[in-house]
Amino acid sequence: MISVTPKTLSDQNVKLDLNNLSPEQVALEIKNLDLYYGSKQALQNISMSIPKGQVTAFIGPSGCGKSTLLRCINRMNDLVDICKITGQINLHGENIYDRHTDVAALRRKVGMVFQRPNPFPKSIYENVVYGLRITGENNRRVLDEAAENALRSAALWNEVKDRLHESALGLSGGQQQRLVIARAIAIKPEVLLLDEPTSALDPISTLTIEELINDLKKQFTVVIVTHNMQQAARVSDQTAFMYMGDLIEYSDTNTLFTTPSKKKTEDYITGRYG
Amino acid sequence: MNNWFKSGSPWVWLSAGGVSISLISVLGLLWLIASRGLSYFWPADIYQFDMTDEQGKPLTVIGEIYDRESIPTAQLVHLNLDIDESAETIERLLIKTGNRELVSLDFRWILVPQINKTSLPEELVVIERRTNGNFYGYIEDIILDGEVVGQQKMAELVERVSDFQTEIEALQKTDIGAINYQIERTRLKERKHRLDETLTAELEQAFKDEVASLKAEYQVLEKQLMALREKVSRDQIVVRAMDGQKVTINFEDVLHITFNNKLSVFGKMKLFFSQIAAFIVDDPREANTEGGVFPAIFGTVLMVLLMTVIVSPLGVVAAIYLHEYAGNNALTKLLRIAVINLAGVPSIVYGVFGLGFFVYMVGGSLDQLFYAETLPSPTFGTPGVMWSALTLAILTLPVVIVSTEEGLSRIPSSMRHGSLALGATKAETLWRIILPIASPAIMTGIILAIARAAGEVAPLMLVGVVKMAPNLPLDGNFPFLHLDRKFMHLGFHIYDVGFQSPNVEAARPLVYATALLLVTIIVALNMTAVSIRNRLREKYRMLEH
Repeated sequence: MISVTPKTLSDQNVKLDLNNLSPEQVALEIKNLDLYYGSKQALQNISMSIPKGQVTAFIGPSGCGKSTLLRCINRMNDLVDICKITGQINLHGENIYDRHTDVAALRRKVGMVFQRPNPFPKSIYENVVYGLRITGENNRRVLDEAAENALRSAALWNEVKDRLHESALGLSGGQQQRLVIARAIAIKPEVLLLDEPTSALDPISTLTIEELINDLKKQFTVVIVTHNMQQAARVSDQTAFMYMGDLIEYSDTNTLFTTPSKKKTEDYITGRYG
Repeated sequence: MNNWFKSGSPWVWLSAGGVSISLISVLGLLWLIASRGLSYFWPADIYQFDMTDEQGKPLTVIGEIYDRESIPTAQLVHLNLDIDESAETIERLLIKTGNRELVSLDFRWILVPQINKTSLPEELVVIERRTNGNFYGYIEDIILDGEVVGQQKMAELVERVSDFQTEIEALQKTDIGAINYQIERTRLKERKHRLDETLTAELEQAFKDEVASLKAEYQVLEKQLMALREKVSRDQIVVRAMDGQKVTINFEDVLHITFNNKLSVFGKMKLFFSQIAAFIVDDPREANTEGGVFPAIFGTVLMVLLMTVIVSPLGVVAAIYLHEYAGNNALTKLLRIAVINLAGVPSIVYGVFGLGFFVYMVGGSLDQLFYAETLPSPTFGTPGVMWSALTLAILTLPVVIVSTEEGLSRIPSSMRHGSLALGATKAETLWRIILPIASPAIMTGIILAIARAAGEVAPLMLVGVVKMAPNLPLDGNFPFLHLDRKFMHLGFHIYDVGFQSPNVEAARPLVYATALLLVTIIVALNMTAVSIRNRLREKYRMLEH
């Protein structure tokens, strides 16, 4: 087995039984989700519950469907014309794939950060308050306060407080990614989806982001996709292993990395494929 | 040799050669137009040629040397001239002699061997006039207010007359023009009421009173005008032409009096620039062959600006629909191909379309609906500046659509996703993120549209351009911008002056000067747009992903 240092349980409150979560512990419930790209099935009958206020990681080899599953949660797959989805994802007991769902409102509740930093070509300040401006908030004081809070939460405030009105494109890659996180949390979502947030960053920036994720779970439910198993082990409370569109194993991180119950999981975390 | 081919140098040379040829042809074109055009404004020397004509009589010719050429002697033999027949060619000069009231042609060829003496007398004067072109000759007398005075009073006289001229022009154009416009409007109002059958006796009386008071005002102004004219006509100048004839010219007619042969280089320079300025700010005279081109400059710029205002939103909206909303199917592809092909339709076809659709159909219907009181004389149902701008907008629409679409497709999808993931709708994303980032590409489209539209003449001849427009489309009378008026255009002006003018020789330098001006204006319009684009680019600079 590769040298994975599983996270100690000291900062984890209680070990959750993922199959029997009480309704108030559940942030998201995925039920029998199938997803097709044209005629090709990319996700097969995925069912899982994502607990509130914790970090859940999706791992698996490239093309296993982990990013696709993540994008289902805030309906970013809607942008792909040929994509067809059956099954349910419930947020507060309501299916987000219901015909009457307001997708924009859903995305305000389920924020997302992408693989590569994608700040808008605007000032740092305007980037952070973008989501609020969309909701029609134009009160200067409210915006200032929200921007400061979001930037502080994203551990970026001290670095940018003197140049809030300069272009966001002048920031380094790591700072840009934290800015994007700040932008996502400025509208106070309930769930924050991170799609391989550190894959384009250097090790120091990666470390900063990982520390940040640890802080973020105090306020938000975090779902992270990563191809880096050490990272999953370091930051997550729960881990789901996916392979070829199937959810193979889903349990708390400690268990999954030390005593996996499935052969495929073991093969993957010991580096036999992927 | 083989290695040299493999090294790629031939291709470098070839491409560098291609670039050089383009550069040289552009510079050559500009040089030709500029040198020919600008020499029109340089005060020429006035020569006096004392010569012997075919019958052996002495003859004096005064004028500017316009052109020179060599002709074979054989061609002249039959004329029985007293010339050296052994020479193979004989040089002849084209002289601009002016004085159109005395001779039918103000240009004449003279043979160099017939010239006995060439001189540049300092007292020769060039008088630029409102009618009949230049006068070349010697000043004999100056008459101020009916009395003969000395030549030293000339400066004072010129000033006095130019003051009168400004006053007359202000009266004629601004005050009397405004009254005429109001009378016409009152008449139309009355007619409208009559047509609607809402004309009461009271109203009719009110209209009558209004017209009467306006007419009274008009009469007062007209009297003032007559008085001024009378004053001006008492100032005269008597000049002697080359054949000794004395001519009296009213000062009212005189624009400039210059002694070209007396001028220093500095003085000529001053005159040169003042002539250029006059060319730009003055109205044309003498069937466009003299004077300035201001109405044409104004018309060109106004039409291009109107076109830009129309084509930009239309093109951007169409591109957004094609790129963002239309499904990616055969119909969309067909639409796209149709748009691209539209750019290849000859411009005169757009002119025909504009005339048939905009002028007769749309304009005709507008007249029926809103301007019934002026019928049968049309308001919008006749070519005008708005229809020209619309026709050119349709003509340049494909350019804007194509470049906007290109700009939209260059935007990384991460920008859209970033915005959508923050709860923005598609429209909000478009408005707040995509369009600002695409704005440099939109500007590129607008630049190309302006470049194409400003140089287009053929369709305009059908939908609004005229040789001579009495009024600018923009003036001080409500509603200030008169979109129904016809206008003048520099491109058409070149054609008109160069090919339709009664005096082709005189018009030739004017053609170059106008062409230079047109190029300058298009470059200026483009430069403005380019600088706006560069500022937008700087603002929305994207990181290379």
